[in-house]
Amino acid sequence: MPWLSVGEGVRIPFQPGMSVRDILDGTDHRVRSGCSGTGACGLCLVRIEQGSAGEPTQVERLHLDHASLEEGLRLACQIIASEDLRITIVGRAPRPGWKRAVRRAVKEYGIFELEEVAAGVVHPLGIAVDLGTTFIGLSLWDLTSRRCVSDRQGVNPQAEHGSDVMTRLLSASRSEQKARRLQELAFEAIGEALEDIGLREGINLEQVVRIVLVGNTAMLTLLGGTNHELLLKPRYWTLPIDSPGHWLQRWPARHAIHPGASVWVVPSLAGFVGSDLLAGVLSTEMTEKSEGALLIDFGTNTEIALWDGKSLWVSSAAGGPAFEGAGIGCGMPAERGAIFRITLENSILAFDVVDNAEPLGLCGSGLVDLLAVLVRSGRLDEAGRFLPTIPADGFVLSSAPPGIVLTKRDVDTIQRAKAAIATGVQILMAEAGQGGKQIKRLYVGGAFGQWLDIANAQQIGLLPDIEATSIRLCGNTALAGCEDLLMSPSSVKSLERIRGCAKVVNLSDHDGFHDSFMENLYLRRMKIG
Amino acid sequence: MSVERLREALLDGDQNRAVLEAKRLVDGGAPGETIVTEAIEKVMEQLGAKCTVEQFNLLEIMLVGRAVTAVMKGLFPEGAPCATVKGAVVLASLEGDVHDLGKNIVKTVLTAKGIGVIDCGKDCSLDKLIEAAKRDNARFICISGLITSVVPQVRRVKGLCLARGLGQIRVVAGGAALKQSTAQSLNVDYVAENAFDGARYIEEIVEASL
Repeated sequence: MPWLSVGEGVRIPFQPGMSVRDILDGTDHRVRSGCSGTGACGLCLVRIEQGSAGEPTQVERLHLDHASLEEGLRLACQIIASEDLRITIVGRAPRPGWKRAVRRAVKEYGIFELEEVAAGVVHPLGIAVDLGTTFIGLSLWDLTSRRCVSDRQGVNPQAEHGSDVMTRLLSASRSEQKARRLQELAFEAIGEALEDIGLREGINLEQVVRIVLVGNTAMLTLLGGTNHELLLKPRYWTLPIDSPGHWLQRWPARHAIHPGASVWVVPSLAGFVGSDLLAGVLSTEMTEKSEGALLIDFGTNTEIALWDGKSLWVSSAAGGPAFEGAGIGCGMPAERGAIFRITLENSILAFDVVDNAEPLGLCGSGLVDLLAVLVRSGRLDEAGRFLPTIPADGFVLSSAPPGIVLTKRDVDTIQRAKAAIATGVQILMAEAGQGGKQIKRLYVGGAFGQWLDIANAQQIGLLPDIEATSIRLCGNTALAGCEDLLMSPSSVKSLERIRGCAKVVNLSDHDGFHDSFMENLYLRRMKIG
Repeated sequence: MSVERLREALLDGDQNRAVLEAKRLVDGGAPGETIVTEAIEKVMEQLGAKCTVEQFNLLEIMLVGRAVTAVMKGLFPEGAPCATVKGAVVLASLEGDVHDLGKNIVKTVLTAKGIGVIDCGKDCSLDKLIEAAKRDNARFICISGLITSVVPQVRRVKGLCLARGLGQIRVVAGGAALKQSTAQSLNVDYVAENAFDGARYIEEIVEASL
């Protein structure tokens, strides 16, 4: 059998005829990927060090320029290996594993109804899960002391089958087997995170008597294993989509939690607007006051909610994962080595890096800062064109290997992502008949951590111009709301009230979408009435 | 006649300046057709050359497209006269695909090259598409696809054309969801890498048959 060598130390035997991506997938040395190996995402970069990988395919020529191909860069999914090959993995898959998340201040909860608790459990525990497209977050709570015992955040392994929800939905609707695989992946990931908590922190999971899970509609239908095909049809985008939960009975046994535990998958609202947004609204308490408020929950699918005092106008904007650092050449998640803040001091760019490590790329807040600074200093115009003095390859932020370069294409991707979101905000405001002055509070949830620079985000039109004192960076609002639902019966009632006053807006139905989108591609302040 | 200033305004995507420059040329006696061939078509070529994979910028293209559309409208309020000669293109995004940004760019590029476009819109059923192609005697059907769920529909277009006696129609596919596929696997005549590439293919065939 021929061998595939990775770097210096790793040798993997393989059957000729497999793609390099498929060979690597069977090992711990997986390559980064955002599609199901069709060549659509262009993320599975490897460098050929030795051996022949054949002529580059059409798809590779699409993603890689001449210089990159010369250098030996190729896409792992496109190389059909037949003989010994030595490669370096350029785009590594995110390391599996679960991390602790930053905790918010603990809320005061109402009285938990102890009769719901399974009999015989001395220290009943509960789990809140936010099943996101890119990340899964969960937290474990002591239901009597209402104290957070532990939590985990990790990558949703379904991303191997597509970084966006459409690709995953399509995969699932093509074959029963694929649908089951996607369901299993999410299920296993939650199980792994729980096991990690159990083992590392010595917690007996049999004490877990209650699980509450929120997510966007796509994630919920994929988890439920049914109805995912409905979301592919635009006529369902404003209709409720059920995700039956009979399979949930198996959950306690699978994850070795209390056999009598109750599992509640909070149903989504309609179309792509999931229970993650409802939970987010709940956690901000924005509908508790009469004044107008806006929640933008940034993610691969950004969900937006606008409260006008009576109704909650909600929508979802498919902006893509740019602000999670994916799909951008120089982007990365907010991990060690990510530049999360950039400032311009005396015409010198200064940056802050996660863990003070050597910079490897930019996470969402870093990208926002970079764009704002480049526009402010005149290196980039508002239309997304670099000054003629900037090299054609793009703006070099760091030339030390691996090099951090913001290309024109990266700028284009960010422009599109932020235009989709800004257009969503504007259309919701128009539908609700609300102007900027009526929005008294703005909640920013999701992808951006606490480091998002509000002024910079407003300058490039990612956030509307609302008095900065009433803007709150909330982190994971979906998980926070899910925790409320886990602990407090009054939250469950509030959720039903929120559901009752929600009005779903389908952005693509809106006449002004096209013009508004184009206007919002500019890297300038968002126009709000 | 100097079309240099019009070209510059178009390439900058400056709609107002482009319309003014075009008016200045018309007032100076320049025929509309010359303005199209000397300014608009040249600008589209330049833009096409500029829009490689690495240098693509959606806003830039939309801005040029908007300026070109405005100038064309000023020159030919009744529609471009050359459209009927070159033959019509029926254009759509198929059922389930509600994204029409890409489709609109194709429309602008083709129109700017003097090719008549019948826009069947987004989320368009195959029946409606074939009906329009028959009614308007189209020579081409162009399909722009952003989501891969439309692939099975794309594969059926050719067969439906044949069944309706429209076997001579060339089918062109493009867009993020389709451009990774081969013409053979999509059962179409051509897969375009972008709007400019598709327009080039159509032009070549039209010119060969003139």
